Amino acid sequence: MAVATARRPTGRRAARAERKRGGRFRRADHLAGWAFVSPAVLLIAVFGLVPVLWSVLLSFQQTDLTSPGTWSGAANYQKMVHDPVFWQAARQTLYYCLMFVPVTMVLAIPIAVLLNQKVRGMTFYRMAVFAPLVTSTVATGVIFSWLYNPQIGLINAGLDKLGLPQQGFFQSTGEALPAVVGMTVWGWLGFAVIIYLSALQNVPRELMEAAALDGCGRVKAFWKVELPLLAPASSFLLVWLTINALQLFDEVYVTTKGGPLHASTVLVYYLYQQAFVDFDGGYAAAIGCALFVVILIVTVVQLWLGRRSSHYEAG
Amino acid sequence: MRDTPRRAGRRLGVRVTAGAATLALASLAACSGGSGGSGGSHGAVVMWHGYTDVEAKAIAQLGQEWNAAHPDQKVNVTFGGSNDDALKKTLASFVSGKAPGIAYEFGSSINTLAARNQTQDLTSLVKSSPSFQWDDFFPAARQATTTPDGKIYGVPALVDNLALVYNKKLFDAAGLSYPTANWTWDDFRAAARKLTDASQHRYGWAYVNDGTEDTVWRYIAMLWQAGGDLLTPDNKKAAFDSPAGLQAMQLLHDMSVTDHSVYLDTGDGQYQNLFNSGKIGMLWTGPWDLSGINKDISYGAQVLPAKVNHATIAGPDNYMLFNKGDRKTAWAFLQWLDSAQTHLKFAVATGDLPLRESETKLPGYKDFLKRYPANEVFVDNLSKNATKSRPNIPEYPKISQALGAAVQSVLLGKAQPQAALDQARQQVDQILAGA
Repeated sequence: MAVATARRPTGRRAARAERKRGGRFRRADHLAGWAFVSPAVLLIAVFGLVPVLWSVLLSFQQTDLTSPGTWSGAANYQKMVHDPVFWQAARQTLYYCLMFVPVTMVLAIPIAVLLNQKVRGMTFYRMAVFAPLVTSTVATGVIFSWLYNPQIGLINAGLDKLGLPQQGFFQSTGEALPAVVGMTVWGWLGFAVIIYLSALQNVPRELMEAAALDGCGRVKAFWKVELPLLAPASSFLLVWLTINALQLFDEVYVTTKGGPLHASTVLVYYLYQQAFVDFDGGYAAAIGCALFVVILIVTVVQLWLGRRSSHYEAG
Repeated sequence: MRDTPRRAGRRLGVRVTAGAATLALASLAACSGGSGGSGGSHGAVVMWHGYTDVEAKAIAQLGQEWNAAHPDQKVNVTFGGSNDDALKKTLASFVSGKAPGIAYEFGSSINTLAARNQTQDLTSLVKSSPSFQWDDFFPAARQATTTPDGKIYGVPALVDNLALVYNKKLFDAAGLSYPTANWTWDDFRAAARKLTDASQHRYGWAYVNDGTEDTVWRYIAMLWQAGGDLLTPDNKKAAFDSPAGLQAMQLLHDMSVTDHSVYLDTGDGQYQNLFNSGKIGMLWTGPWDLSGINKDISYGAQVLPAKVNHATIAGPDNYMLFNKGDRKTAWAFLQWLDSAQTHLKFAVATGDLPLRESETKLPGYKDFLKRYPANEVFVDNLSKNATKSRPNIPEYPKISQALGAAVQSVLLGKAQPQAALDQARQQVDQILAGA
């Protein structure tokens, strides 16, 4: 994906050229094209667009999701503004994003560089880094619940051996969310590494050779040539990880359940609680819509910034 | 109620992605209620249950037994997904039109379901079937089927309660004598402190501290033991902000914050593993946990300790009937399933407690006690100590959340007992006032 982003200008130019030739396309080609995409379009419409629009309608209703609702105007949104737990969840979602996204990206770059070396058994190392991503969240959650267990967990046992103070992790209001960050960074690191790795492998060899000829050492070449060329990958990761971070749910659901005392309640988990524990579907839909708008704005801003900053893509 | 997962994995058996949760919001209507369709036997009454292991086997066998004796009144007993999700699934099935004829539901779900016209009001059926012997059911079981207006919306499916389960070896090692039926809170606290050994990561007691009903119901038992009540008799106001309520909170505070003798479970059920590895001395738990205790652990069961009485709390679940399929067959089947003879068979096979007083008078009851000796305390509890029950009012889930937060904040040392009670009382009064 990052590769595609990095090469976009070529792609764009090609598309423009195609459009010029467009007059020659026959109607039948268009029909065939639509016929090919129609199953996907239909599925996305039925399972994607319709529910989204439905959520918007629901957010203006009082409904338990299973019996007919009543229209209530903006009542759900008013409730949201005055709901302290909603704001707590929003703050915690933001905190989570600000921790999770940079930590994942910063850790991924050195690992990607290491995995880009020619060493025997590299496939194994790459697989090891990628494995957490394909591990089911439930398994990850159970394992981390064990590791983080304050009384019998391995992490506290290790801290004990080192003479460091014991931590509360999921049982402490102050540490539950950082503990979730740690767990999700572990889970997502492999993804970021793969993206960076493919971007690194995509750095034209001529550039590196030219840098070497000009007397640039290996380290300097990384800072001056490779790292700047990772910008498109970074901007993709920034958007992708942020969207995922804002939608954090599984990891919280299988470990802390938003607790203790709401300390790790993030927006989507709060939404879930409202909809499927308290059966306040309208309010949950309103939270969903608010989150949708936030994600939309953040993504647009990030893409815009990304496009402005990654001037290296004009290759 | 059996909110407590029998095994930790039960609750974790689902993977829901964030996107799916958001979309599920709106597409719930599109989901059918699981796999419990009519299946092979066409026209049979469908019954959903969430039993696993031995219970699943036992209920399936009873279903076969019924079908063999009633070829023209077939029942399709089928697994409808975990009991934890029964309410969600049932509500979804109303929308999809694929509701079951009968479903196992947590006692706490009764108000939500009673408000639906798909749910059958059984009041007149129960009253007009003297052979069903309604008053023979234990009071806690009957209360759980009945809404505050006196209507009956289900028949008992399970009735649990809490007792003190302790590891004999740890008591011996600490030089403590085993808990007695006359134990007080002071005895209990002192024993927990003595069983605790921080260097060994060993604790006297375990408390599920996830803020859910699992956290709340143990507190309610303590509140009753101190002579308090949750709400005023008319269910209009909070009554737990009382000397009794404070004493109960204080005990939690003293044991957790002062003595550090309580293992706080985050809700992942780890306390069971810890009990099995001899790291926890005592549990307040029900019969469902006994099957999870390792063979090599020698344990005993005793009634809960008293402040002024030994009150326990029952967690009854119900079979509820829906306006779907052959209602006559469904009712006939349930009457048979809940009869003393049939249910005792189920109890012997599974270790579930009897639902009826008369089950304990049947000859087969001796087998039950022989197979599950520790269950005698729980059965005794049903007639002696499980006299009060949680109010079956629609506001209860919200009240439970407010109390859960209060108990949790006290256990974590985040709030003083009185302050936590004050705050919870304000919230509960607001909830009851309809705000």
